[in-house]
Amino acid sequence: MKGWRGVKGRRWGGLAAGVGLSGSVALAASGALSQAQEASGPVVVASKQFAESYVLAEVFAQLLEQHGHEVDRRLGLGTTELTFQALARGDIHVYPEYTGTGLVAILNEYPSGGSAGVFRRVSTVFQARWGARWLPPLGFANNYAVAMRRSAADSLGIRTLSGLARASPQLAAGFSPDFAGRTDGLVGLAETYVGMRFREVRNVLQAVKYRALAEGEVDVIDAYSTDGAVARYDLQVMVDDLGFFPPYDAAPLVSREFYENRPRAVLVLSRLAGRIDEETMRRANEKVELAAMPVAQAAGELLVEIGLVEAGSGASDVAGGDGDLASGDGDMAGGDGTSSRSVRTLPGYMWSNRTALARQAARHLLLVLTSLGAAVLVAVPVGVALERRRSAAEGTIRAAGLLQTIPGIALLAFMLPLFGIGAAPAAAALFLYSLLPILRNTYTGIVGAAPGAVEAGRALGMTEGQLLHRIRLPLAAPVVMAGVRTAAVINVGTATLAAFVGAGGLGDPIVAGLALSDPVMILSGAVPAAAMALGVDWALARAEARVAPKGVRERRE
Amino acid sequence: MALIEVEGAVKRYGGATALNGADLRVDAGACVALVGESGSGKTTLLRTVNGLTALDQGRVRVRGESVAAMDPVALRRSMGYVQQDGGLIPHWTCLANAALVPSLRGMADAEERGRSALDATGLDSALYGSRYPRQLSGGQRQRVAIARAVAADPDVLLMDEPFGALDAVTRFDAQEAFLALRASASVTAVLVTHDLSEAMRIATRVAVMRAGRIVLEAASGELAVRAREEAALGRGYAAELLRKSGVGA
Repeated sequence: MKGWRGVKGRRWGGLAAGVGLSGSVALAASGALSQAQEASGPVVVASKQFAESYVLAEVFAQLLEQHGHEVDRRLGLGTTELTFQALARGDIHVYPEYTGTGLVAILNEYPSGGSAGVFRRVSTVFQARWGARWLPPLGFANNYAVAMRRSAADSLGIRTLSGLARASPQLAAGFSPDFAGRTDGLVGLAETYVGMRFREVRNVLQAVKYRALAEGEVDVIDAYSTDGAVARYDLQVMVDDLGFFPPYDAAPLVSREFYENRPRAVLVLSRLAGRIDEETMRRANEKVELAAMPVAQAAGELLVEIGLVEAGSGASDVAGGDGDLASGDGDMAGGDGTSSRSVRTLPGYMWSNRTALARQAARHLLLVLTSLGAAVLVAVPVGVALERRRSAAEGTIRAAGLLQTIPGIALLAFMLPLFGIGAAPAAAALFLYSLLPILRNTYTGIVGAAPGAVEAGRALGMTEGQLLHRIRLPLAAPVVMAGVRTAAVINVGTATLAAFVGAGGLGDPIVAGLALSDPVMILSGAVPAAAMALGVDWALARAEARVAPKGVRERRE
Repeated sequence: MALIEVEGAVKRYGGATALNGADLRVDAGACVALVGESGSGKTTLLRTVNGLTALDQGRVRVRGESVAAMDPVALRRSMGYVQQDGGLIPHWTCLANAALVPSLRGMADAEERGRSALDATGLDSALYGSRYPRQLSGGQRQRVAIARAVAADPDVLLMDEPFGALDAVTRFDAQEAFLALRASASVTAVLVTHDLSEAMRIATRVAVMRAGRIVLEAASGELAVRAREEAALGRGYAAELLRKSGVGA
């Protein structure tokens, strides 16, 4: 494994050709293509939530479109686990993945055998276990790397991870949370490089890591070898002299169904084999991360650069025209062309993306209202029924409360195996979140509704149904509405997380903005979401006042 | 004949015994007050009459029929009921409250009955009928509660501390309104009160309860005499209660 860096591009040329021959290329060459039934419908292309993944997915998408395939983009779908789960279920067809990630994060294995060995291993196991196929690698690796400010590295005389280990007791590290916790991250690193004990290890998010390092908040960070920021911030990447980091060769990972039914599309993606070297990828990342170039445009330029698309041909039209960045229904990055981040204002950005934002807001609201409506249909009758079984009430309400304590992102993750990706798991999670406030308020409202009047009504011959419909429900209505209002406001906020499971909505620009370190893009989702929360709160507060029966209404003012 | 008969009534709540063999007969046209200390079983006994409390043992007959065998909803609609806090439905007008039982019984003139019941308790229905309960004073609310209880002309009226929450002056006025109502309608009433002087003022007969039984039952005017007789026989509870209440013994 030692010394893999730097020869990647050339080596992959050979490896890719070899692998390709045994895979889809062979299928095409054998003439099976002409007989194969090419399934119809769009190819669902997804990415994970960082700039390079967006760019590569967009490269896949544009190349497919160039060859006449319809594409459904699900860019920024989620974490490794989530995106792969979606692929294994067949919800998405292809996304860019790294061999090291497949081996360590998905298979939980330790790397051996270098780049080629790792590729063989993931190819074999993924096919056997999930039917998923690794298409020929693209030609570069995006390895984990540890970086320092060049000036600091120079003054300490450090170039290698072994040297870093010796100097570590006087250094503060800022690592992204997943790196700090993973066996292919800090944990294993400290085992291989004995003596690596930093003075301090802080969890720092990807988006702010480079700034923290540049400003001297921390001395050491984890990075990726193709990060656009490495050059920009004048960083020194530590040489992995003991060969600890596994190889992270990038390749299209495709689902079983796609591989079997879409031979033409598979062949198109295979054309990328060995074509993108580390330098090309880093330049594309830099354009997106540091120059705020829309992802679609950067991907289009990359395709021209590697000669798969001619300059001035359809690809640049695709890039400028309908380059969807955030997801299948959001063209966040495409809207304002090439304007750079420094001159962009939030209102201007939102205006230029108004169509996409309006669609996302509508989808957001639909998601909230659907889940809320379902929760009302369930929680109100249950809350009413609990009044007559008060012994069961506490347990039931506590169970609903337990759901509430599950963090939003975790609850969404639990829903994935049940519902796949998209709106369904998000709506299910929001539904569960809405239950508690509505259930608790319904029960409280029904129990607390003029108990004296209920008692007198019963003593005078009102039936239980009459007591419920004519006394309890009207009096409880404002309390129930208050619960619905609480649930609705929580949902508008939580629904932004739905973008992590591909449900769309105003979370899309937030997720994309986080991935691309673009505060304006983040705000273009966050500000409308906050406004929607206020609007929903206002509307439901009015509804709450309206449903209060006349005889008791004034008391509430 | 007795309109209401309770025989050997026993009611337990968990380990506590609320009624322990209570017997009560109420003749048509009478107004019987159940008196006694807190926890003596007055309210429980009252609630057996309209089936709000089901007995563990014993039986209750109303108009000669067993309460246990009757449809509780129909039974309750045939009787008036007044409770201490009034129990008015807060989002209904006073007129709607007063007309509740007639409308439950499907009477065509329900609203008219509610109106005249309000008037009969001393509340001008034209003035108060459209108001909501919280716009009335405590005494006025209690009059609406009484109007509601009698609007369908029931032959039985059950009242649980109907004036208990009112201040002394308001209470006196409300009692007067009740007496006026009784004078004009031949309703048989059972009244729970902890106030012996109230019992002797508005009831025709008084039943003294202790530990889930009725220990003495007498016409209001004879209560003091009967209590002394009982005391002479070694059963001094009623006399003790009268003395404590300052009603004399």
